[in-house]
Amino acid sequence: MRTSPAKLLILIAILLVIVVELRTVLAFFDVELTVLQGIAVGIVGIALLLVWAFSPLFSESDQ
Amino acid sequence: MTDLFVDSYPKQARVVRSAFLTAYIALGIGALFGVLQALHRTDILRLVESPTYYTILTGHGVFLVITFTIFFLVGLYQWAVTDSLGRGPVDMRLTWAWYGLMSSGTLLAAIAILAGFLDDPPTVLGSELSADVLFTFYAPLQANPIFYVGLVLFVVGTWLAGADWFRTWWSWKQENPDARIPLPTFMVLTTMIMWYISSIGVAVSILAFILPWSLGLTGSLNPTLTRTLFWYFGHPVVYFWLLPAYLLWYTVLPKLSGGRLFSDPLARVVFILFILLSTPVGIHHQYLDPGISDGFKFIVMTNTMFLLLPSFLTAFTVVASMEHGARQRGGDGYFNWLQALPWRDPAFTGMSLAGVVFAFGGFTGIVNAGMNINYLVHNSLWVPGHIHTQVGTAVALTFMAGSYWLVPQLTGNRLVGRDVALVQVVLWFVGIVFMTNSMYRGGLIGIPRRSAEPQYDFDYEIAVGSIPEIRAQLAIGGVLLFVSAMLFLVLILLTAFNDDSEPIVDGTIPPALSGPEDSPRVLDDLRVWIAIALVLVAIAYAFPLANIVSRGGLFGPDIGPFPVVVETVASVLSTTDTGMYLEALVETES
Repeated sequence: MRTSPAKLLILIAILLVIVVELRTVLAFFDVELTVLQGIAVGIVGIALLLVWAFSPLFSESDQ
Repeated sequence: MTDLFVDSYPKQARVVRSAFLTAYIALGIGALFGVLQALHRTDILRLVESPTYYTILTGHGVFLVITFTIFFLVGLYQWAVTDSLGRGPVDMRLTWAWYGLMSSGTLLAAIAILAGFLDDPPTVLGSELSADVLFTFYAPLQANPIFYVGLVLFVVGTWLAGADWFRTWWSWKQENPDARIPLPTFMVLTTMIMWYISSIGVAVSILAFILPWSLGLTGSLNPTLTRTLFWYFGHPVVYFWLLPAYLLWYTVLPKLSGGRLFSDPLARVVFILFILLSTPVGIHHQYLDPGISDGFKFIVMTNTMFLLLPSFLTAFTVVASMEHGARQRGGDGYFNWLQALPWRDPAFTGMSLAGVVFAFGGFTGIVNAGMNINYLVHNSLWVPGHIHTQVGTAVALTFMAGSYWLVPQLTGNRLVGRDVALVQVVLWFVGIVFMTNSMYRGGLIGIPRRSAEPQYDFDYEIAVGSIPEIRAQLAIGGVLLFVSAMLFLVLILLTAFNDDSEPIVDGTIPPALSGPEDSPRVLDDLRVWIAIALVLVAIAYAFPLANIVSRGGLFGPDIGPFPVVVETVASVLSTTDTGMYLEALVETES
């Protein structure tokens, strides 16, 4: 695992926050995402994070 | 590993535990009222009638921003003074007296508020027992006198708490005449100076005007005057909530990061700036109030913008301290050091995420403080969005995270569910962003605050998404916050009864990298800062107050109370009395 479960949890939380806020920010540039598109971006982002986190390149403990 | 606080100071630990317990009870009730509000005003689930919404709204505000925050403050500050001076209070009877006074006041105010749930509230002191006046309890809304008596007792209790800490420090100073004030005690004393200067406004407002008016001793009051006195206190009170969080960020967070505070002198400067700048800014809450000249409002806006300075200093100092800690733990690179921080520790992660949200909320505060742009968001849903990022997260999440570090030291018990605690703080972070994002977006298009019925059929010109989506997002955020709060309370409760364990926490606060010896001693001369603060307050408030009194009189242009009993309101509005009332007002003004 590339990162610890604690860091993964926090990264997912930050990703969710970015998705929520980014949708608002993008609207200022006339890029409007629907709720479903927002959810899709979130799911893809979390999936990518999980793939990255669990890819067995090396192991590392949090503490 | 040093002795636990509970072992070194068992009597003081009991006071701190009692204060925290009261704070946590308030948090539980306030959180329940919060989720009820979120579900009600979004029209997703309505467990009460809309008139009762205002009872819940008042309870949510008072129990969270008065009871939860300030009881946590007094507990934390009792710990900070005792721990940093290495001694207890001069007389524990005074300590228990202020705790008793604050508790009694809370109980009285709570009785008045919760009576709002009764179908037929009793008559007490000449009026119905009710206090649906919201946290901002200024006239013409009128509560039962019991509510105001409760507030007075509570505030006097906090004054005595401050006196207790000053007395303890003074006693310590006699034994250590040449020593600098230890930083945690310095933070406590400066916070209390700020509180003494600012809370006098609400004390005068209640004792001289609102309480006699609610008792029927005076026939009327000047709403602009009482509003101005309220906001004289109403803005500094946010720093009264925030400064205990700052204390934790400056003292505990660097330690949890694995390092030491970057600069003790900068921390002292920040707290001094709060003494100077907290109070002469309250009129920025009244940009839309008639009766205060634009010139005064402009001066206050300028003062308010200066308040960004201590926030920026704090951001720099705390992040620098965290980076130092991370590098002590083996972190390197421009940003890679972030990975070396102890993210698994819920106390550290909670405080860090609270700091991130605080920075974001600070930018929205600039919008509130800007005189022209404030008109866009005034009294809209934007404002509760701002307050939930600041006191609802920067403060509340820091207090919860700090509890994970402090409660084991106060009880001698190991924290139960450390991993669940991490989920809890992260859940709060996600919940608050969901909720406040919807509030900000809703506020920008004019959705009102403080309303059980925010005009569902109104055709808002929304820029992003849709109204149903904003409502759903607000409700989801509210539910996540409620679940997080309950998780926190369960973990603390389990920890309190986890008495067959040994805590794994080191309560030692290491010295700063740059200590007090690197700063001039005048920083510790509190008399200088009090004098300057009073001058600034006089500059900001003397002319506006004189103007308000000269135009409207001390006791106002004979404006009667606006009843808060809903049936009465309905009957008043349904008759021509309203028109006659307004005509009488116009005649009085002319």
